[in-house]
Amino acid sequence: MAVGPGERVTFWFGCNMLRHAEMIRLSILLLEKAGYDVDAAGGPGYCCGTAHDHAPKPASTMAGRTVARFNDAAEKDGRGTLVTWCPSCHIHMTDIMAPGNETRFDMAHVSEMIADAADRLAPLFVKPVKRRILLHRHTGFDNHVPVNDRVAALLARIEGLEIVEGKAHAGHMCSALAAVPGALKAATTEVFESAKAQGCDTVATIFHSCHREYAALAGRDGIEVRNWVHLVAEAMGIDAADAYLGWRTGGAPDIAAIERADAKLYERLIEPELRKPAPI
Amino acid sequence: MTRLPESTAPTTADFLAEAGPRLASLCTACGACFRACPIADHIGLAGADAGAVTLDLRRLARGEPATLPETLHWVGACAKSGLCIPACPEHAKGLDARLLVRIARQHALNVTGQITSKHDAAAFPRVKVFARLQLTDEEQDRWL
Repeated sequence: MAVGPGERVTFWFGCNMLRHAEMIRLSILLLEKAGYDVDAAGGPGYCCGTAHDHAPKPASTMAGRTVARFNDAAEKDGRGTLVTWCPSCHIHMTDIMAPGNETRFDMAHVSEMIADAADRLAPLFVKPVKRRILLHRHTGFDNHVPVNDRVAALLARIEGLEIVEGKAHAGHMCSALAAVPGALKAATTEVFESAKAQGCDTVATIFHSCHREYAALAGRDGIEVRNWVHLVAEAMGIDAADAYLGWRTGGAPDIAAIERADAKLYERLIEPELRKPAPI
Repeated sequence: MTRLPESTAPTTADFLAEAGPRLASLCTACGACFRACPIADHIGLAGADAGAVTLDLRRLARGEPATLPETLHWVGACAKSGLCIPACPEHAKGLDARLLVRIARQHALNVTGQITSKHDAAAFPRVKVFARLQLTDEEQDRWL
């Protein structure tokens, strides 16, 4: 089923994107600029269950509940297309959730939706982006969606942006490598060495989990770190401050936000992540 | 656009219980998936017997214990690189090698108990705090 402008879609951003609120907001904005009517859903209440292989029954229950919520959105709200961000969620839906639950919606990755709308979006790219980027890529999601090519093609529409396509690394994103001793460090080293060798001033990430790892390295050797949606926003003249990157490189949320989130939980759950050593 | 497959089972748990033996029956233990895996090399298994490992993979996918430590090491380290999928000569017949490895890993975790989980129990509480740090009340009400 083709999806055209005016279609009502649900943007399913997953769980771990909650670290990157501006990426969620920018994705919604880009989908809206492309002409779609967007509702968004994510967080543990919409968990796909992919990170719960150790607990198959609860994972199955979570998957069933999440599919039921998207079926409801399709049937009651006319949102017959589910737009994913997270490759884990997308792969899990295709490979495991849908074969185990009746689905009444189609699915597309956000990069497909945005890249397919490139002709409508390109006139909005009004600001040259003077960067030479190394596009950090993985192999694992390309069997489902050719995300590496889609993102590169979209970024190629931005005036001033020079793109060097980096090596496609193992895994579907960096979180998968983090669980294999030494693998994340090896990949990260290769990316930064390659960026330096090829005269890049920016490493551009495609996925949130890669961005989470690379954020701590922003500024090292003069190399900045941006996600592809940050770069598109930059071309559109939209301010897209990267809060997580700022926190990971020595900053902190303002005190009012910490108090609202619960200061004790912040100290126990968030600070250790923000202060952990960079991967290299 | 991804056309989602028709459901073949009432729950994902039922699907996985059915899919493990079915995919294992398609596997010829040729070793192509193992040889295509970049992680196998990374974790020091480059010299392992690919045929023996994939024979063992088939056992695990059926819910039987693996007999080789290399098999457990391999399935436990899967990073979803996906290169095994096109490398598998039985792919056209419906064998998704990555899914086979994943089911084998689940069985090693939950059926044979031969590997342990690296699950982060704080993952959900942590992302909820990140949400409260950044999202407005309205965004939390609408999206979560």
